[in-house]
Amino acid sequence: MMIIKKLFWPKLALRELRNNRKFSLFFILNLAMGLSGFIALDSFKESLDLHLGKNSKAILGADIALTTYFPFQEENIKYLESNLPENTKVTRRISLFTMVSSIKKSRLVEVIGVEELFPFYGKIFLKNNGIVQDDNHLKKLNLYDESWVYPELLNILNLSEDENIKIGEKNFLITDLVMDDPSSSMSSFGFAPRIYVGFSKLKETGLLTKKSRVSYQRLYSLPKGANLESIVEKLKNNVKNLKGSDSKIRIISHKNAGNNLGRLLGYLNDYLGLVALIAIFLAGIGAAYLYRNYLSHHFRELSILMSLGATRQQTYQMVLWQLLFLGTGASLIAILISIIILPFLPLLLEQFLPRGFVTHISLSSLFFSIFIGCMGSFVFCLPVLSRIRSVKPLYLFHEHFINNDVEFKLWQQWYSYIPLIMLSWFLSVWQSHSWVVGSIFIVMLILSIIVLCLVALVILRIVGDISQNLNSVVIRLAFRNINRNRLGAISCFLALSMGTLLINLIPQIYQGLQEEISRPKDFRIPSLFMFDIQPDQIEALKKLISEENEVMKYISPMVRARLEKINNEVFKSFNDDSPITREQEREQRFRMRTLNLSYRTELSESEYIVRGQPFSSKYDWDSGLPSEVSIEERYADRFGLKIGDTLTFNVQEILIDAKIVNFRRVKWNSFQPNFFILFQPGVLEEAPATFLASLGGLDQFKRIKLQNKIVNKFPNVSVVDVNRTVKRILSISDQMVLALKLMAYLSIFAGLIVVFSIARNEVEGRLWELNLLKVLGAKFNDIQKMIQFEFLIIGFFACIFGVSVSTIMSYGLAWWFFENFWQWTWGISIMSIIGVISMSVIVAWFATRKLLKSSPLTLLRSS
Amino acid sequence: MVLEIKNLVKTFKQADLSKIEVLKNLNLAVQKRDTVAVVGQSGSGKSTLLSLLAGLDRQTSGSLKLHGKELGELSEIEMTQFRAENIGIIFQQFYLMPHLTSLENVSLPLEMFGYKESQERALEAMDQVGLMDRVKHFPHQLSGGESQRVAIARAIVIRPSILLADEPTGNLDNATGFQVADLIFNLVQTTGMTMIMVTHNKDLANKCSRQMTLKNGTFE
Ligand SMILES: Nc1ncnc2c1ncn2[C@@H]1O[C@H](COP(=O)(O)OP(=O)(O)OP(=O)(O)O)[C@@H](O)[C@H]1O
Ligand SMILES: [Mg+2]
Repeated sequence: MMIIKKLFWPKLALRELRNNRKFSLFFILNLAMGLSGFIALDSFKESLDLHLGKNSKAILGADIALTTYFPFQEENIKYLESNLPENTKVTRRISLFTMVSSIKKSRLVEVIGVEELFPFYGKIFLKNNGIVQDDNHLKKLNLYDESWVYPELLNILNLSEDENIKIGEKNFLITDLVMDDPSSSMSSFGFAPRIYVGFSKLKETGLLTKKSRVSYQRLYSLPKGANLESIVEKLKNNVKNLKGSDSKIRIISHKNAGNNLGRLLGYLNDYLGLVALIAIFLAGIGAAYLYRNYLSHHFRELSILMSLGATRQQTYQMVLWQLLFLGTGASLIAILISIIILPFLPLLLEQFLPRGFVTHISLSSLFFSIFIGCMGSFVFCLPVLSRIRSVKPLYLFHEHFINNDVEFKLWQQWYSYIPLIMLSWFLSVWQSHSWVVGSIFIVMLILSIIVLCLVALVILRIVGDISQNLNSVVIRLAFRNINRNRLGAISCFLALSMGTLLINLIPQIYQGLQEEISRPKDFRIPSLFMFDIQPDQIEALKKLISEENEVMKYISPMVRARLEKINNEVFKSFNDDSPITREQEREQRFRMRTLNLSYRTELSESEYIVRGQPFSSKYDWDSGLPSEVSIEERYADRFGLKIGDTLTFNVQEILIDAKIVNFRRVKWNSFQPNFFILFQPGVLEEAPATFLASLGGLDQFKRIKLQNKIVNKFPNVSVVDVNRTVKRILSISDQMVLALKLMAYLSIFAGLIVVFSIARNEVEGRLWELNLLKVLGAKFNDIQKMIQFEFLIIGFFACIFGVSVSTIMSYGLAWWFFENFWQWTWGISIMSIIGVISMSVIVAWFATRKLLKSSPLTLLRSS
Repeated sequence: MVLEIKNLVKTFKQADLSKIEVLKNLNLAVQKRDTVAVVGQSGSGKSTLLSLLAGLDRQTSGSLKLHGKELGELSEIEMTQFRAENIGIIFQQFYLMPHLTSLENVSLPLEMFGYKESQERALEAMDQVGLMDRVKHFPHQLSGGESQRVAIARAIVIRPSILLADEPTGNLDNATGFQVADLIFNLVQTTGMTMIMVTHNKDLANKCSRQMTLKNGTFE
């Protein structure tokens, strides 16, 4: 007989929410504000992943590729290709970085030689000839001395179409411009624009010598139904059997081609995600506060339901339904907001984004946002929710049933916060793709919340004391009110101070970065950076440069080697599991890298020894002792190296043992030639090396002049204009910071909504007493002043502490990352203090103005 | 025997851990169709007794049998079920759900358990209390007397065998109070319920078939 009607409880829950329309509205608004940034970001991320995933074949131009820095050996290729199924198509591709020059200027470019079938996937789009569809276009490239270039190259070199461009010893006619190239998934960093030429023609440039670093690739298109993974596996195993240079062949499947390219954007997303998480947190504080008020008014109704026969489980059920509705509502609104925000994100980040990138919201991120909305509202309200246990219908028999009689001692139920902590921990690890960063972030967040709460309690006490001996009634009442409604005051304080902290912290860190990279009078940063210099070219190059009255500095040899053993244990070069966290990703990159070794008699200005002894002197081959090496501090950390460890390097198939004698700290952003591993002099001098060098203090005119001179005389030497690169990096970090700042503004906005909701709620709860004041003769103005004064005090302290904590944090970060370079951005601090205080007062005024105007008569009737 | 109370004791722990014994060795037997008025001074434990009878609180010791069932032995869920089927409660403060209409308030206990004809029965109950013209009204649109009549309808809609009323007229003026009381007695009469009513009102108490006075934790 007693079949429980399934829909009864959700219906009742919905009704209650509808009846408490204002509460529902503000709760949803609060949470939606916090969620929207997060959801927009998630969709953005997913769009990016999807784009990169879809395009991964196009990025590689093939299903599988073999790649190496040495020409392939014919018989080895036959051996490897025997693994491939029938009907596999193959095409060859060569690429190298080199300088090209017009009559006027020169520039580092990436030259790519391709055969007719290239690419198997993706379409190259040319300005004049459109999509490269039939092989005719590519045939022409291989028959004539023609080239297609990236449009930006024309600007840089002051060239126009139909002019010639000199690559190595050969002139190429520019016949078309590459408008879209799927194989460069990120719009290139402006570092090296591309030039496409015929595969056979590239061979004629004379650049494919041992002097330049050339990348040889064989690209394969597999027939339908081929098992990519097993073929990759077989190829990898077979490569292990090869000897000589071909043992270094790498097998790339399209699946890992897409991954690396979005890396930088990935990092940015990580941090954006964390800031967005703070916005959620602030919103959550507001929502929990509102919910607490709602629920305490709601206890009586729960009691009535129980006296009418509802079980405790059923009341829980109803409350959970309510949270579910609220969470879903918040997510839906957040989704709406993020649909509006989303199209603007690509505009913000255009420098990073792949060409042809479009944003969209997928079904899965929709479900995800609803999940986060519901879970979020549940875990944030859990500490309040667990109070339902104390609802007793028994109280209905006592006339003095007090709505608020259930005193909220929030910290007594510490365990009810665990789900909240777990969820935010999960989210932050997941957002930052890093256990370390995510965990540190959460610990910092919780710590700052605890510290700010303690600070708030102390302030409340002081405020309470002060209020005893104040003359002005208005101010005294304001102080009392703050002190009486501690939870509201602390919630506002937290929301405002965290928001202030954020908007201060981000620009301060950025300031440090900017000052560090581009201090104008700092000549430590070189103007030009040269690499691939051959040993026999050094003297001539020096001479050429001294003709211009400049000095070539930091000439550093670079010897390529592989790490074979650490303390006589074979070093595993890299594992094939696809990386999940950023740490794994970095680890793989570290481990894959063939090492660049160097040696120098004296350390450069941008490095110093942090532990261990300097090198003894020149190495003595007859001593029979291992040679001495110095390792960069963080590199050593990564591999768990200790001073005294022995490393065995393979330099051109000769094994060299080396003992670690010291660790160095390197200032990488000095843009000087620096190395993870430095040998003592006397060990590597005979090994084949190329040289790096830098030139400092050149003005723009001289930079161009020298660059051209060098390239004309030494075509294999690559010259990078560091100034340009620095500018590029700065403009990219500008964009990153702008994105982060916007996220921070979103969170302060979320904070202000919290203030709005709390102010409204407070005044509503105190309405009868405010009206009583009116009846007793208080003027409307006085009452309004009192409320404003309350929020002025809260806002003031919140800002002061927000700014202080952010200053301390940025100081710490500066000390850690930027070697003690720190400057207080007092302008931003003062602006944010003034801004946030006035905003909170205005918001409080706005939230309460209507309520305060209500006539005292209404109160006497309703009470 | 509808109700049988033997040596019922209820003590409350105070905040300072001292105990106060509100009910001491209470004994009472109530027959079907009996109407019992419980009177006594304020603080004598009348509401406490009712909350025990309603199963909203537990006795400290002694026996409390309703329809032969020992309430102290029922689990919370069983108790809820038992209450939902057998006991109607009327409070002094009406306690209507503010966001539900009168009719919805009345049908609430039925709907909670998914009765099919809850609507019809709620209307029937509204008719019984004479409020057919107020079914769509919300509690704040009702007068005190009307509110209490809705609460009465809500209590009887489950057709309980026992009606518990804690000063049902306490919040009403004299004239309205009498109307409401008349209504209650009529309903009890026609439906054959057993009623335990707490009241301060002599006239009301005199209308009941029995009067019990609580003093010092026992019936005099
Ligand atoms: N939960 C409780 N904790 C402690 N003491 C309680 C509790 N509930 C009731 N009491 C005490 O028990 C005594 C009886 O209370 P009860 O409400 O039953 O009296 P009452 O007879 O209904 O009075 P009134 O006529 O004023 O409604 C009172 O002294 C009251 O303080
Ligand atoms: Mg009482």
